[in-house]
Amino acid sequence: MRSWYLFLRNAVQRWLPLHNEWSLLVAIIAALAFTAIVDTNHTYFFQPLDSLRDIARNSAMLGMFSLGAAVVIISGGIDLSSGSMIALSGTVCSVTMLALAPTEMMAFQPVGWEIVLIAILASLFTGFFVGTLHTWLITVVHLPPFVATLATLVGLRSFARALCESSTSVLTPTKSAVINVADPLFKSVRDNVWFSVGTFLVLACITWLILTRTVLGRHLKALGGNEQAARLAGIHTDNVKWFAYCFGAMTAALAGLFYVANESVAAPVNQGRGHELNAIAAAVVGGCSLSGGVGTIPGTVLGAFFLRVVIDAVSKIIKTGADVYEGLIVGGVVVLAVTFAQGMSGKQDGRRILPGMLGLCTIPVLALISGSLAAMTTGLGSGLAVCFTAIVALISLRIYENRSCN
Amino acid sequence: MQELKNAGHQFMMEETLETAVSMSKITKRFPGVVALESVTLHVRRGHVHAICGENGAGKSTLMKILSGVYQPDAGELHINAKKVIFQGTRDAEVAGVAIIHQELELVEELSVAANIFLGREPRGMFGLLNDNIAKDKAQSLLTLLEASISPDEKTGALRVGDQQLVEIAKALSLNASILVMDEPTSALTDKETERLEQTIGALRQQGCTILYISHKMDEVFRLADQITVLRDGQLVRTVDKSETSPSEVANWMVGRDIINHNFRSQPTIGKCLLEVKKLSSSLDYSSQSDQLHDVSFRVHAGEVLGIAGLMGAGRTEVLEAIFGVTHGHWQGEVFLSGKRVRFKHPSEACKAGLVMVPEDRKRLGIFENFQVNENISLCSLFRIMRNGFLSRRAEEDLVAEAISQIGIKTPAQTTKITQLSGGNQQKCIISRWLLTKPKVLLLDDPTRGIDVGAKAELYTLVNSLCQAGMAVVLTSSELPELLTLSDRLIVMNQGKVTGEFSHHEATEQKIMNAATLA
Repeated sequence: MRSWYLFLRNAVQRWLPLHNEWSLLVAIIAALAFTAIVDTNHTYFFQPLDSLRDIARNSAMLGMFSLGAAVVIISGGIDLSSGSMIALSGTVCSVTMLALAPTEMMAFQPVGWEIVLIAILASLFTGFFVGTLHTWLITVVHLPPFVATLATLVGLRSFARALCESSTSVLTPTKSAVINVADPLFKSVRDNVWFSVGTFLVLACITWLILTRTVLGRHLKALGGNEQAARLAGIHTDNVKWFAYCFGAMTAALAGLFYVANESVAAPVNQGRGHELNAIAAAVVGGCSLSGGVGTIPGTVLGAFFLRVVIDAVSKIIKTGADVYEGLIVGGVVVLAVTFAQGMSGKQDGRRILPGMLGLCTIPVLALISGSLAAMTTGLGSGLAVCFTAIVALISLRIYENRSCN
Repeated sequence: MQELKNAGHQFMMEETLETAVSMSKITKRFPGVVALESVTLHVRRGHVHAICGENGAGKSTLMKILSGVYQPDAGELHINAKKVIFQGTRDAEVAGVAIIHQELELVEELSVAANIFLGREPRGMFGLLNDNIAKDKAQSLLTLLEASISPDEKTGALRVGDQQLVEIAKALSLNASILVMDEPTSALTDKETERLEQTIGALRQQGCTILYISHKMDEVFRLADQITVLRDGQLVRTVDKSETSPSEVANWMVGRDIINHNFRSQPTIGKCLLEVKKLSSSLDYSSQSDQLHDVSFRVHAGEVLGIAGLMGAGRTEVLEAIFGVTHGHWQGEVFLSGKRVRFKHPSEACKAGLVMVPEDRKRLGIFENFQVNENISLCSLFRIMRNGFLSRRAEEDLVAEAISQIGIKTPAQTTKITQLSGGNQQKCIISRWLLTKPKVLLLDDPTRGIDVGAKAELYTLVNSLCQAGMAVVLTSSELPELLTLSDRLIVMNQGKVTGEFSHHEATEQKIMNAATLA
């Protein structure tokens, strides 16, 4: 009896503090419900399985390298290069297959599982190499992580394109910026959502175990919390960083393989472009602090899921050309989620939202953003109305703040 | 009747006119600590008013409230008989209060003139910066202070004493009539201290009111007109200098008869555990002169070796070199239990049984993102592994043992470490290392910024560790502490050992002589 009580108490103590995870869960359900009602086709009602599959696949792919981003962020660093790593990984994978089985690849024939395995390993090793390069640049050359991974963000994509073009010009009759991948193994990954979802969930569990239950995980958090103190506590901080950046790059490499499978093509020009920011956003929405040492894996998983749910909601509601708005949504969600989290922890107590000259200039900015968004999605008239309403609302807020301050 | 009223009125007027600063019933709380408890302080205009107290007595907090850095939780502040509420340092500056912090707040990359007018740069045509006006004004301020500093010089290239003068010039440029100095002489040589005292005298002549924080009795009694003593966040008393004596003030500061209490039981000296021979380092990894020259000493089991010296004398550098923080970039030899060692990383030292508690608890010791238990178990994670994974239960047992062993006061193991008092945070860090079962313990200024009671507990802890056969090397910026705890003392000055005394030989005078005379 007593042991049950203790177990329950422990469980409650452990799970109750996860405000962030609970509120994300509520937000996800709210977003799903909202979309189900507002969407004029009511897709979520009529094709629940298809919709779920779409969201699950996209969330799993984003989630994979969000886990990497989260680990790097918790260790106190940042990895901006994962989008380019995705492109490079896909390219390395298809170039390897092209080199080992050129005829089959060009004839869209199966290349055999041994070659696919070698190609996958080659991609993952590329991830390891990139992670090692990052760590070297950061710990030995002493570049700030932001600069080191910014350099590889632009560098790796260019490298992937060069690799694609030079290898196609040697191995195939014509130089090409893309390599088609038609192996049935990749096709089955595309057609069966469980491959990506399963891989993601297993990876998430492993990462969660590492972070919460191993020495390495504890050292990662210590490093992110206070690097100097971590070193003085006898932690080999450089090795821990090495793990973090390799994990970040290798999860992106893994995600790159799924991108290739999903699109049946390795296209280094565009694959994964800008997705590094989605991963960082997922981690931040999930409760990781960019100053390091703080963050959880369940939070990151929910953060990635939430981001995809919102993106999907907009595409369902707007119907055509929704991908144009993806960046806007991610940006808005990050601002709102982090503001909300800060508000919960009481950091913004007594602060004004529109102070001084800055506040005054922010009023038209916010009004213009909301107005033009409304104009582009629903028409000029409603745009003007929204813009006007926003100005009136913000000015009254400003007056209210001035009153209550004095 | 009317006359009496007038007289009373007159008296009131005089009182208010004469009082430059009046702080009444100031209370300030931080998470887990009451830093100030209803402190009342009146400072007369044109006086030098010394604020004395041990570390953690609340001196700095009180001055930070006076200068607008902190806002009090309760209490009122009057400047020149006007009630003021400071939202930030800017408000205080407008009211004529300027503070010179213990850690100087200068931008080392900028010139002296630019630092003096930082944030209030003189503008010329089109609102562009006008460096010439700044230079001229800075020059006249520096001349006023009789400082031989050029306004063009880069501030980082100046000696600490000169940097302090720049801070004072900055305060004067604000037309500050009330100047707060927070332990200004802690990093100064005797000569620089003397010059600073002259400057303070001159400022007083000009009608400045000066609040002077120090725990050095000789300085206080040379400079101050009045003395206020704080202890554990409470006001002990305010007296005129003429009415008291240094020893009396020291007793008020300490409260209990702590210094004379004998914390060390008769040591049983064992074999030599740590021997350092001719340790030299030329590594210049911070701008001050941190080089070590031929530092040699031995520490035996059951013994406390104290290392005395002023800031920048090389105390910390010696400990860091031995502990492997400096990647083994030093010459000389170190023997641990007779075996020659050269640690390249703290983890090697820890494995060999030598550990260090670093000096700056907040910056180098605690992990603010961790709870108490995670902070304590960090260095002995392999002891709580079960089947390759960390076991929460094993961690709980280990931490419970550590907490009871050295008496850490915490509501729960899962409390955030930042909610503990400074003394308990320090105990967490010490217990983190004790769990690795070391033979030699290096303590770098372990009692900085913790309250008197916690200090006494730490002293008792050090004693019991020695009784258990551990060798302890201790540095401290407080001489009485070193004199109380050390069985032997070495004194360092500019990277060299300039004196060695046994517990019985050592006096404050002898140590200060060795620490200051090169």
